[in-house]
Amino acid sequence: MIRTLRRLWNRTGGSFSGHRRESDLTEELDAHIQLLAEDNIRRGVPPDDALRHAKLQFGSVESAKESYRDQRGLPALDAIGQDLRYAFRWIRKNPGFAAIAILSLGIGIGANTAIFSLVNTVLLKPLAYQDPDRVFTIREVVFDSRGQRSVTPVNPVHAREWAKHCPSLEQVALMGASTANVIAGGEPASIPAVDVPHNFFALFGVEPILGRPFLPEEEKEGSNPVVILSESLWRSRFSADRSLIGRSILVDGQNHEVVGIVPGPLRLPYHGQTNARFEIFRPLVLAQEELSRIMGNFNYGAVLRVKRGVSAEQALAEINVVQARFPAQLGRKEDLKATLIPAHELFVGRARLGLWVLAAAVGAVLLIVCINLANLLLSRIASRSREAAIRTALGASRGRQFRMVLTESLMLAVCGGALGLLLASWSVQALVATTNLDIPRLEELRVDSNVLMFAFCITLLTGLVFGALPAWRLTRNDPQQALRAGSHTVTEGRHGLRVREGLISVEVALSAALLIVAALLTSSLTRLLQVDKGFDADRVLTVDIGLTGSLYAEAAHRENFFNRILPKIGSIPGVQASGVVTYLPTLGQIWNDPIYLEGAPRESRYPVDNRYASPGYFRTMNIAIRAGRAFEENDRGRGVAMLSARAAKLLWPTDPNPVGRSFMGEDDKLKTLVGIVAEVRAELHNEAPPTAYYPYWQRAPDVVSLVVRTTGDPQTAVGAIRATLRGEDAQLPIDTIRTMEEVVDRSVAQRRFQITLMAVFAASALLVASLGIYGVVSYSVARRRNEIGIRMALGAQRSQLLGLIVRQGMAPVLVGLAAGVAAGLMLSRAIRSLLFEVQPADPLTVAGVTGVLLAVGVSACLIPARRAAGTDAIAALRFE
Amino acid sequence: MSTKAEVWQGTLALMVLKTLNALGPQHGYGIARRVEQTSGDLLSINHGTLYPVLLKLEQEGAIASEWGVSENNRRAKFYGITKAGQKQLASEVNQWAQATEIVARFLALKGAKT
Repeated sequence: MIRTLRRLWNRTGGSFSGHRRESDLTEELDAHIQLLAEDNIRRGVPPDDALRHAKLQFGSVESAKESYRDQRGLPALDAIGQDLRYAFRWIRKNPGFAAIAILSLGIGIGANTAIFSLVNTVLLKPLAYQDPDRVFTIREVVFDSRGQRSVTPVNPVHAREWAKHCPSLEQVALMGASTANVIAGGEPASIPAVDVPHNFFALFGVEPILGRPFLPEEEKEGSNPVVILSESLWRSRFSADRSLIGRSILVDGQNHEVVGIVPGPLRLPYHGQTNARFEIFRPLVLAQEELSRIMGNFNYGAVLRVKRGVSAEQALAEINVVQARFPAQLGRKEDLKATLIPAHELFVGRARLGLWVLAAAVGAVLLIVCINLANLLLSRIASRSREAAIRTALGASRGRQFRMVLTESLMLAVCGGALGLLLASWSVQALVATTNLDIPRLEELRVDSNVLMFAFCITLLTGLVFGALPAWRLTRNDPQQALRAGSHTVTEGRHGLRVREGLISVEVALSAALLIVAALLTSSLTRLLQVDKGFDADRVLTVDIGLTGSLYAEAAHRENFFNRILPKIGSIPGVQASGVVTYLPTLGQIWNDPIYLEGAPRESRYPVDNRYASPGYFRTMNIAIRAGRAFEENDRGRGVAMLSARAAKLLWPTDPNPVGRSFMGEDDKLKTLVGIVAEVRAELHNEAPPTAYYPYWQRAPDVVSLVVRTTGDPQTAVGAIRATLRGEDAQLPIDTIRTMEEVVDRSVAQRRFQITLMAVFAASALLVASLGIYGVVSYSVARRRNEIGIRMALGAQRSQLLGLIVRQGMAPVLVGLAAGVAAGLMLSRAIRSLLFEVQPADPLTVAGVTGVLLAVGVSACLIPARRAAGTDAIAALRFE
Repeated sequence: MSTKAEVWQGTLALMVLKTLNALGPQHGYGIARRVEQTSGDLLSINHGTLYPVLLKLEQEGAIASEWGVSENNRRAKFYGITKAGQKQLASEVNQWAQATEIVARFLALKGAKT
């Protein structure tokens, strides 16, 4: 047994022998014959005859070698080796074709691998929590008395009751996100922070690498402030100092004792914060006042972990039972429910459709590349069928020949796959290094074993797809016929052409569908960028200011800060206007609070987006004032507000100019309406929400965006703005000062990235398909040279010939076009949610795509057609 | 036909092992000559068939080869028996003795009847 295995092993090695063993064998046998000859001489044979005798005695050297070789390796392996050698030789003899094949496969496989690594990271890879499938984000669903549904963050009282009364839940934890100013090692920085209860880390299964998690008593009001840091923050700002535990650091201007270090930064399934990487954790301290408000105060993010074996529906049913009690307790008519979102879903929900569209698109491109290569190989069958026939005649079996031809295409695919993997890992690295896309989990992107496996499988699949059909057709040829006829007249026949025309139809259909989707997405982006945002981003700079330190704990201090810096910023040379606002437009931030007429019933309270602004904000952003005026400095001390036209319509549907009337604002106090302003979009792709503006001094906010309009190049004012802020407070963390255009652009960056890729894929599909059309038509023209010659001799006009060739060449294109447009329209309906102000069946897009494909198809036909029509009839006839 | 070849190859392998065991490392020609001499020149082997047998024995690990210089200063490949080869030889000698004994008994039986 061991002997057999050992022999098998050695024979496997023998299959990979090469020239050395072969020359060893020759030398050994030569030596043998020489020794034999010398013995013969010794025995008295005449020297002239000795060698001849020796050779006779030895028998056939070649046959000895042959049986030796059979023993040396494994015949099956040897055959594969032979196939590979033939394939290599064939590729070397067709370098042009091989280069095109490898390059196009490399790009196709590379793009697929890169997109797959994106899909793998963002959609498929589980989150880095323990048993992430049992972690859900919970949000509350409020149905007001009119039955209108709104989804809100979580009320802390409710969360406490769920934990108490729902047996399916293992843990529930609230989260309150903020940013914290930390001063350590140089510049002060504002860092994403989250306040969490003591069971928070246990819920996610995150163990501190140093120190301990929070204790229940640390959640009580008045207890010593403590903080837990992420490992990355600890390493980058505290040089991984292990003695930091137990020491105090300054967070928001207050001493906090560091009690633990956890791995991270952590990404949390926190609605609206999925892109934040939290680095600072503080105990969540709930004020007594907060715990007494049963309805309202929906302000916290919340996560829960269900018990093993419990379904989400079951947990939700239990929660909804608890939820129903709260409005009932207050005797209210509202209905309260909850919704559970799987943690993973919260991260990828938005990105999923877009990524699958990209994956499908890039897959289609690779399919087109395969079809084109199959077509190219098919056109080579004519020249190879003679070779195949000779092989068959010499006794090669069909299966063996099939395998041989398939080996060629697999070899091309493997070369292409290697190139593709290289391209993919470059592009993935480049993407991670340069991107500013807010694709969730993008920083985890890398080429891992899953990606390698994918690349390997797709490479083999590619080789099979484009190689199988040509290999099958080649080995199906009748060798007798092929040998009888002269090689240049051997053609694949009418049937073969039909197959290739069918392939062209598929290529064109795929390209048409891709083009339609890409065109719809592109016009969505164009329209999105042209949409009336309600403000003018030109020459406006912006920077966020966070007044979160203990210096600014009092509203008066914050107000004073703004009172002081706004005039200073305004007097910087080159600054035309400046102001502050709580949330910049287009970033998707909305803060809803009700407005209502004094004494109005609860049903007539309207939730509107509310923003606090300085008087200069509207002038800086060029927000049109439709009626009345903007805030003024002398509004201080009076209750004033501005409304967007739409918000004013809610309160006074019939009054064309309600300026001067009064209503109840977000603080339940009477406000005089001083002005009505144009609608400003909170998100680019959504209609502007009704908005109320209050002067900043009414509720001095702790986080604002400063906006500055300059007269000239905005970049020249950046230094002066920074210096002014620094001069006011040297410890204030200052972010990068950006132009408003950059901010708007960022909000469409992901869309633009997707669309750029789609456009590239669609364009390459079109290019490859046009090459395919050209290839088939020029081949069929070459095949019919004789016939064309006869037609010309019989008096056919050049234009008639052109028409004939183009008509026949376009037939499969038209079939494919019809199928592709139908498929594209179906697809575009599926991606309706990615479109903006474009109908899925936009007639202009369909017409445009059809036009482009027809034009490309006709020109691909015309080049070979003109060549054919330009030939001399005599030459064409002599060609035979 | 093929079974005959098998038997013949099997015995040739045994002869090669025995020769190498008795005489130490030999080149291919030397082995062929010794085998012929030992058989009292009754056996004439086709030298060409020797090499596949040597290869098989080497792949099985029964013999090992090394390039060396022959008695008349020619580069030649020398084969020597290995430990595993000696074991294999011993067991094959046993088997062979058994087989011949059985055959001999049958032949004796045949002779008694006629």
